Amino acid sequence: MPEYKGWKMPAKATAEEMRQIHIEPVPDDQKVEKAIQYLDEMRKKFRSFVLAMESCVKCGLCAENCHTYLGTGDPNNIPTNRAELIRKIYRRYFTLEGRWFGKLVGAEDLNLDIIEQWYSYFYQCNECRRCGHVCPFGIDTCEVTMIGRQILHWLGIVPKLHASVGAAMERTGNHTGLTKPAIVDTLEFLSEEIKDEFGVDVEFPVDKEGADIMYVPSSADFLLNPYTLMGAGMFFTYIGANWTIPSTITEAGNFGLLFDQQHTMRHNFTRLLHAAQKLGVKKIVWGECGHGWRAWKMYFPGMADLPIRWPITHIHDEVAYYIRTNQLKLDPYKIGRPVTLHDPCNYVRACGLAETMRTVIRACVADFREMYPNKENNFCCGGGSAILFDDPEMYQLRIKFSSKKAEQVRATGVGRDGNGILCAPCSICKAQLYPMVEEHELGVEVKGLIDLVGMALVWK
Amino acid sequence: MTYFIAQILPYITVTVFILGVLYRLWRWTASRIVHNITLSPFPQTKTEVLGIYLREILLFRNVFNFDRPLWVGAWPMHIALLNVIGGHVVGFYFLGKQFVYLGASEALSKNLSNLLGTVFGIILLAGLLYLLYRRVALDKVRQVSNPSDYLMLLLLISIVSVGNFMRLVPEYGMHYEPVKEYFTTLILFQPAAIPEGNPFFIIHLLLAQVLIMILPFSKLMHLFGMFGMRWIENRVYKEPAPGLPNVDVAAARARGAGLPSASSSDVA
Ligand code: HEM
Ligand code: SF4
Ligand code: SF4
Ligand code: SF4
Repeated sequence: MPEYKGWKMPAKATAEEMRQIHIEPVPDDQKVEKAIQYLDEMRKKFRSFVLAMESCVKCGLCAENCHTYLGTGDPNNIPTNRAELIRKIYRRYFTLEGRWFGKLVGAEDLNLDIIEQWYSYFYQCNECRRCGHVCPFGIDTCEVTMIGRQILHWLGIVPKLHASVGAAMERTGNHTGLTKPAIVDTLEFLSEEIKDEFGVDVEFPVDKEGADIMYVPSSADFLLNPYTLMGAGMFFTYIGANWTIPSTITEAGNFGLLFDQQHTMRHNFTRLLHAAQKLGVKKIVWGECGHGWRAWKMYFPGMADLPIRWPITHIHDEVAYYIRTNQLKLDPYKIGRPVTLHDPCNYVRACGLAETMRTVIRACVADFREMYPNKENNFCCGGGSAILFDDPEMYQLRIKFSSKKAEQVRATGVGRDGNGILCAPCSICKAQLYPMVEEHELGVEVKGLIDLVGMALVWK
Repeated sequence: MTYFIAQILPYITVTVFILGVLYRLWRWTASRIVHNITLSPFPQTKTEVLGIYLREILLFRNVFNFDRPLWVGAWPMHIALLNVIGGHVVGFYFLGKQFVYLGASEALSKNLSNLLGTVFGIILLAGLLYLLYRRVALDKVRQVSNPSDYLMLLLLISIVSVGNFMRLVPEYGMHYEPVKEYFTTLILFQPAAIPEGNPFFIIHLLLAQVLIMILPFSKLMHLFGMFGMRWIENRVYKEPAPGLPNVDVAAARARGAGLPSASSSDVA
């Protein structure tokens, strides 16, 4: 279903696929009524949502601060208009002015077409929060997108991609459906790679009871971003840590954040608690994943249904700590290529990692060039919230969503000689940017940040 | 009609305004802050949080940084608006003699009061006209506008225009004293008829009351919404301390951890 009435949309999960993530799709003739009911529940619960509904002045400031609007010029991609898709319904059913004055104040009855439009435009939002960051009041359209997606989920409308990842999470505890044997195999292979390339012995202990540290990598690192996992392994080995990777939750991400912040998100939270208890670890260290770090750092404490007995930190913070205290020997000249850093939105706008990443990257590379705007003002890569769809129409959109990023990377000049590195320390950024740097012919290779740490470590 | 506008409507206006605002605020507080959605910048102390509030309220820093052309209209408009609202209260209460407390003579104070009123009135009008122009002329703003967004601006523009007209055309001007008397009777619940039978004053008064009644049901609630939103997002968040348990990097390096010969202890 690539298009409906001119609205582009990703392929939807089938009813059977929805049942696998425990949702019975709502029949068409009940969708409107149910959607209003869910919307009512949401607005009574989430203040961030109510305020986004009720205090926007329609100043239009957010428009040119959202890369999806910049890339497509589609008015529905203006953040406040994206929110308006729900706001007009909200007004109609839940405000006096909307009930009395209708269209005059922009209130509208809900119908099936609007629900389809929600699906289209809430899955064209990267949940990057740049709109919230720039809005004079801090109105966070990401919150509206999240509520929209939650309602769609309950109606049984979720992209195939997200639904299948949700099912994989429940089955295996990671997004890519890796089983323990596959995990162990891959890690052995990575050990060999490290030996060949860096000449050091790195072991990846899996499910080691009595380890001090539990490292939770992004499952994408096993297949797509091996250097990130290798870098983490080298870091832990270098500092002589007693660490382990849990096979029951080998996932730094949490797609629940992106389409179902209730059941799906909580399910993986619980998995982590069980794993940490079983292995008896003392501290949990998180791998490179933007939305995942947001979910675990910000949402986990409020949603865990068991006491959290372990401090959880991000691997970047740990590496930065050992750099600041001069305990890591890094040679910034080992990587003799120009490097620029793409700040993953979730790190900088939702988790405050901007300076940490700079501490690390400056220690690892000699020719580091900032792109602008950067840090918390950075633009998203266009893949945020995993709208990494391959349907041809959606893929074209991904190219448009990343055009702002391409412009920024080009302006740094790192790719001029075709040997630049675009450091994008988030699994979704990487998945988006691998093809996008080709589409935009940027002359850069995409790498994580821990990749660079691994490459720059001086062992003797 | 004049009787209704001047002696009955004000009580309705105030009631609608207060109940309306309370109703909206109650709706907001009835919902909760469910998740920690702290948003950049990441202040490390309460003072820094206060700084964020202040720079957004006083300077519109976000507007300045991310949409300069909007700031050029919005910020002067707000400053003028606040001064005009303040001026209405202070000017009428002190009959224009408020600056005497700052050391001015009575005549100077009255002149100053008039001058400031006129200047801010004109800035306010210019700002509003500019915002209206923007709303009509810029695609991105037109595309986000509902009819009510234009109507709201038109209403404000009419109120301010009538106000400025009374200031600038002496025949239709209002003196401080009779207006003060009128408001005093209103507050004492013994409303007197409006003085001087000035039709422009009646229109001004009517439209202003319409605005005040609409406020709780309109986007003008942004003046409270902004606090609500920032209260959720601009918070102090502290990380757990970094540093890993039972890690001794110096010992590990001395041992040669990771080096191929590490199993034998001859590296150290
Ligand atoms: C606290 C910080 C405030 C900020 C950052 C702010 C920001 C804004 C912005 C960006 C607009 C949009 C202009 C447009 O394009 O239409 C606006 C409109 C407006 N604001 Fe504020 N505002 C603030 C407080 C206030 C206060 C305290 C008042 C009233 C006393 C007020 C009254 C208005 C009015 C009357 C409008 C025009 C509405 C319209 O465009 O229809 N604002 N404000
Ligand atoms: S910047 Fe904020 S207030 Fe302005 S239109 Fe966008 S969401 Fe509304
Ligand atoms: S969260 Fe990002 S993509 Fe979504 S509306 Fe806001 S700025 Fe645009
Ligand atoms: S994919 Fe990367 S850049 Fe884009 S929202 Fe996630 S963290 Fe942001």
